[in-house]
Amino acid sequence: MVTFAILASVAVIGALGVVLLRQPIHAALSLVGTLLTLAVLFVTLQAHFLAAIQVIVYGGAIMVLFLFVIMLLNIEHERKEVQPWLRWAAYGVGLVAATGLIVGAMLDPRQAPDHAVVRDTLQGGHPRLIAEVLYGEFMLAFQLVGVLLLTGMVGAVALVQRPRPQRTSAMIDERRKERASDALEAGGR
Amino acid sequence: MVGTEAYVTLSAVLFTIGAVGVLTRRSAIMIFLCVELMLNAANLALVAYAYQWAGTGLLTGISGQTAVFIILAVAAAEVAIGLGILVAIFRNRASTDVDALSEVRL
Repeated sequence: MVTFAILASVAVIGALGVVLLRQPIHAALSLVGTLLTLAVLFVTLQAHFLAAIQVIVYGGAIMVLFLFVIMLLNIEHERKEVQPWLRWAAYGVGLVAATGLIVGAMLDPRQAPDHAVVRDTLQGGHPRLIAEVLYGEFMLAFQLVGVLLLTGMVGAVALVQRPRPQRTSAMIDERRKERASDALEAGGR
Repeated sequence: MVGTEAYVTLSAVLFTIGAVGVLTRRSAIMIFLCVELMLNAANLALVAYAYQWAGTGLLTGISGQTAVFIILAVAAAEVAIGLGILVAIFRNRASTDVDALSEVRL
């Protein structure tokens, strides 16, 4: 109970930091805090493998990519704000949606499962168990994700590469002249 | 041990914070960060329900965790493509303000 309270408050504070902090770098680091807290929450839910993957993939790869792009583009904090009424409308919508979801979750309380039974069943989300389901029930999804990752990789490379300067005949002539003069100099020596 | 509804409540709070961020931030990269937050909130709910229903069978519990695994892979692909588009836009416009990109629409 105490563990969950501490983790939940840290996660919510980190999430608020993502929304409220001005500097993109600060917001990204705040999100890293939330992601690591979520990894610890996964451990309390008997998903040890997912916790490790969360730290490696999210905390490592994805957030490093984010920070890299933020620093590469040198994005400054937002100068203009959205209109105040839009901001307050968003806060209102968020409050209403959160309240609705929380009330919905609380109205349907379930008997908490027996921790010992769940621990014996899930075995901490052992990679072997996950692999059996991933290559069995989830085979189609697994292959589609493979195609998606390949498409994403090719697409990202195609998006960020600069177009090659078109070779015009003038450029080629110039290059040829340079080469000829170089050859003359070399021969003169 | 707190009940599943506590985890689902935390997931709902994180999701709505992310949604508010998508609505109120202007920079495209901040909107991306908030979308990541929403994806993670959904992951937390899936893992919590996997824990809740693990007693009814191994397949039920592990399926939830495997779905989270697949969502992680999709998120990685989405980030790679999204940041690629951002870099391409920034190269042309020197800005990632989404309101300034209105000429993209039909």
